Amino acid sequence: MNPASRFPASHPSLWRVAAGRLLCLVLTILLAAFLAAALVRLSPGFGMDERQLDARLSDRSIRAIQAEYGGAQSVLAYFWSYLAALTRGDLGQSLSLGRPVRELLWERFGVTLQSAAGGLAWAWIAAAGACLSLGMVGMAGMVRRRIFDSAAMTLSGAMLCLPAAIVGLFSFYLGAGPALAIGAILLPRVFRYIRNVTGAIARRPHVLAARARGAGGLGLLARHVWLPAAPELMALAGVSVSMALGAAIPVEALCDSPGIGQLVWKAALARDVPVLVNVTILIATVTAVANLLADAGRSAFQREA
Amino acid sequence: MVRRAAILALTAIVLALLCADWIAPHSAETQFRDDAAARPSRQYPLGTDALGRDRLSRLLYGGRISMVMAPLAALLAVSLAVVAGLTAGCLGGWWERAAATLTDLCLSLPWLFLLLAVRALLPLNVGPEASILVTFALLGLLGWAGPSRIMLAAVKRHLSSDFVLAARAAGCHPLRIALVHLLPHLLPVAAAQFWVTAPAFLLSEANLGLLGLGVAEPTPSWGNLLRELENLSQVARCPWIAAPLVALFLVIGCSHLVTAAAEYES
Repeated sequence: MNPASRFPASHPSLWRVAAGRLLCLVLTILLAAFLAAALVRLSPGFGMDERQLDARLSDRSIRAIQAEYGGAQSVLAYFWSYLAALTRGDLGQSLSLGRPVRELLWERFGVTLQSAAGGLAWAWIAAAGACLSLGMVGMAGMVRRRIFDSAAMTLSGAMLCLPAAIVGLFSFYLGAGPALAIGAILLPRVFRYIRNVTGAIARRPHVLAARARGAGGLGLLARHVWLPAAPELMALAGVSVSMALGAAIPVEALCDSPGIGQLVWKAALARDVPVLVNVTILIATVTAVANLLADAGRSAFQREA
Repeated sequence: MVRRAAILALTAIVLALLCADWIAPHSAETQFRDDAAARPSRQYPLGTDALGRDRLSRLLYGGRISMVMAPLAALLAVSLAVVAGLTAGCLGGWWERAAATLTDLCLSLPWLFLLLAVRALLPLNVGPEASILVTFALLGLLGWAGPSRIMLAAVKRHLSSDFVLAARAAGCHPLRIALVHLLPHLLPVAAAQFWVTAPAFLLSEANLGLLGLGVAEPTPSWGNLLRELENLSQVARCPWIAAPLVALFLVIGCSHLVTAAAEYES
């Protein structure tokens, strides 16, 4: 069955929308790659290596070292040569670790993916659970709801006043793994957003009307509050992937977890430019794909509604 | 009531930091080698660090750097956001799309990653003063994306308002419309963004400091003072080393309370 036939003729076809979004995705990744390459090329000290000062090296060796950095190419030429190498699967060599960047990313991406996915799962389950409990308490009585809501908001507000690195470090010190530490960083942000969205919907007339007709409990919350909130929650899900990757940096760096976050930190301390450019592209790709999927999910929910 | 208390607490902290020259018992960088890692005493109210430097003095002088530079960086970021929002909103078309794409890209990359990546491209072995400038300039230059999206929305909202239409009908030059008619209406939004951005930059500096990419030693800042907390097991034995965290928590908490109360009142 043609998927486009499910929608009215005035809607652009599903394939056209998908193609448009994919094109946007590719353009965003290319823009990220170009900006990263431009920053690298224009950064002070680009192409300089202290090995070039070694008087024992021949001219040929020094030229080879200069070639490693792309010589005196312009930004566009540098970007083009980087893209050409990328199409061959060559991501370059890490300057500080002396290993191919592709190998490093391959080894470490799985670790970060596991921690970030675990952290996201923890944060979403805890935040959704807390919001559902608040919703249930709210139906039981206004005073109790206010007390619980104030307590939850104060606790999440307090967590937001601490640097992410400290929250991660503290969670890890208490025995939580990197996933739980990332979850602890994400939890207050995710909780506050879900609470605001579902709280606004819970005050709408249709919910009051449903309650007046005797509806209540989890069914009311699921059908009349959480389902209408689903498009906005899908958008938050996309954004929270980026937040989880950001949280992975201090957690992995301070808790010695060998993932992409730790690699970024080490590369930043060693000015390992090839690693940083490739990680920028990788992270831009992951976040862009997550946002694309979230957008698709949001559109699906809006059509259902 | 809550807002007043928060403003009062913030004022007291800022005053204490501004009067660091009179309040601090010692210079921030003087090392008392015979009293390294000393416990709190009358001479050193918060003890000394491993290099024998007075913790209270470093907290006060470090706070002064963080509390002056973070708002300056926020001012830079919000100013850039106003310029970007005004330009994209007034010119429209491709300019607006290009600004939106760039904003989306900046916002989609994790903030801490963006900071680390760009910080790494700048020289790392710089002096303490240069590291202060680099750290906070970077926060200001990279932090424009979030406020710019809000500015663009505000510009677009005002562009369809009566006073702009009247100015257009009177033959006003677009630059005059932007600077004379739109800009004054953007200032309250910019002020709100400033109050949201400044605490976020304080936290970012703290994160960068903890990762060793913030303000360089021996100059203190709240970010690099937090590095002592890397060994958290020490906090149970010497809770006074958490003083920078408590100060940061108080400042950020009070700022949040001020902005939340202002939002509630409006």
